[in-house]
Amino acid sequence: MSTSLVWASISVYVVIAIIIAYLSRSGDQKSMAGYFLGERKLNGFVSALSYSATTYSAFMLVGLAGLTYNGGVGAFGFEIIYFMGVSLVAIFGPRFWLVGKKYGYVTPSEMLGDRYQSKWVAIVTAISSCLFLIPYSAVQLTGIGYLLAGVTDGAIPFTTGVVIATVLAIVFSYIAGIRSVAWTDSLQSLLMITTSTIVVIVIILHLGGIGGFFDAIEARDPQALAVPGNGFFNFWTFLGLTIPWFFFSISNPQVSQRLFMPASLKSMRHMLLGFLVFGFIYTIVSVVWGFSASVLFPDLENADLATPTLLSSDVVPPVLGVIVMVGIMAAAISTIDSILLTLSSLFSRDVYRNMTDKADDSKQLMVGKLVIPVIAVLTFLFAKLELDLIAVLSVAASSGLIVVVPAIIGSFFWKKGTAAGAISSVVLSSLLVIWVEATDGLLFGLKSGIWGLLSSSLLFIAVSLVTKAPKQKAEEFTQYVRQNMRSSRS
Amino acid sequence: MNQKEKIWGLVILIIVFLGYFIPYAFLSNVTKWYGSFLIWSILAIIVIIANYFLSKNWGDEE
Repeated sequence: MSTSLVWASISVYVVIAIIIAYLSRSGDQKSMAGYFLGERKLNGFVSALSYSATTYSAFMLVGLAGLTYNGGVGAFGFEIIYFMGVSLVAIFGPRFWLVGKKYGYVTPSEMLGDRYQSKWVAIVTAISSCLFLIPYSAVQLTGIGYLLAGVTDGAIPFTTGVVIATVLAIVFSYIAGIRSVAWTDSLQSLLMITTSTIVVIVIILHLGGIGGFFDAIEARDPQALAVPGNGFFNFWTFLGLTIPWFFFSISNPQVSQRLFMPASLKSMRHMLLGFLVFGFIYTIVSVVWGFSASVLFPDLENADLATPTLLSSDVVPPVLGVIVMVGIMAAAISTIDSILLTLSSLFSRDVYRNMTDKADDSKQLMVGKLVIPVIAVLTFLFAKLELDLIAVLSVAASSGLIVVVPAIIGSFFWKKGTAAGAISSVVLSSLLVIWVEATDGLLFGLKSGIWGLLSSSLLFIAVSLVTKAPKQKAEEFTQYVRQNMRSSRS
Repeated sequence: MNQKEKIWGLVILIIVFLGYFIPYAFLSNVTKWYGSFLIWSILAIIVIIANYFLSKNWGDEE
């Protein structure tokens, strides 16, 4: 790919995105709920696109294509199980939204802390999110570094790519908080869904239409169309990969915080359905890319090169290839800036506020804004260091975040849940997940995510049963949800 | 959970179960587009429909 073409496209993207970020500046920017939640007034369309952009990082178009390249159709099944898990939004979304408005929650950890009546629940869940999400963001950054270096044959060095991404993530978060993030996310989603679908059409036509496409896969390796196929996706691997991702929509704070933001439940509905349609198309696109690369370039050393190789090949017109490449970079940035905002709100709301006496709303916001670049720089440093532990934590991110799921489910559906149950399940299970990932990723043949879910569920239930639940709060909280669920959707 | 959530929640749970069960139990030897690829696509579309009904009466009260 020509380096000047890549630079030109990046410049155009940056200029348009910054203009959009500036245009998004409206309403209250001076309160926590204004800056981090857009005053709980996001419309359905922007919510849907932004939710999609935040969820689908660069992982999707590089990683999922790579998984398909290596393991065949099992990669499609893996992503579809995740996709089914987004249905949890249909159950938990309105509940988060209702209590968020009533009690003024800004973060999911704050909700847990209040529900279980313990600031330590908020502090512990906030810190555990930071522990897993900072390395996860660092890996997104390194992804951009490798992608730009890869498609330009090193003309854009790794560090340059990482610096560009870090700076842009900070800028997009700073201009107007969640509003600028949501609007730049929307730009990115629209650009990606359009161009990546065009790439799919171009490739399929090149391979002789849909029939020709499937014939080509079958001719190369028929096992690619079945599971376990070549063995890559044996059942236990499939289960271990899918379980943490199934719960992604409530376990990951950068997406569960989105459940506080829509202007109404109708907007949330548009967010949910819009995301599902978007996600279905995007999943098929990524999988088709992976299959196509396996047919056209069967001998790649590294499956993560499937996407860059495909985009810089003769099959895809150069301008289209460059646009999609910039789109992938934007996809990674849109994931990082959302995580940056969420983590800074977790830090200021749940750690800083609970540790000091006089932290009013404006002080929290000030701390939150100060922390954004600090977290970004930490992420950048992690990305540069490429330590083994970071790789472990980022792989463990989806499994590590699953440990908060029992406490979240319990807050709405189990009045006997307690703070001690929540804290012990999160702390001990996080340690277990890290330990399993740091050894060989398997314990008795099962992946860390399965252990994380089992151990956190057992601990949450067992410890809750022997400790005292905050009865009054539990009653008030669940009663409020029950009444309003009835009236809002009879 | 209200009645509607219980019904559609159960439908989604069954779909998720089938998403694991059918491809691994019955389609391991079907190396065609109408094997696992098709079944996962169909299940995904059913899930979209289930979510459509689950969220049907969500109001626009702010």
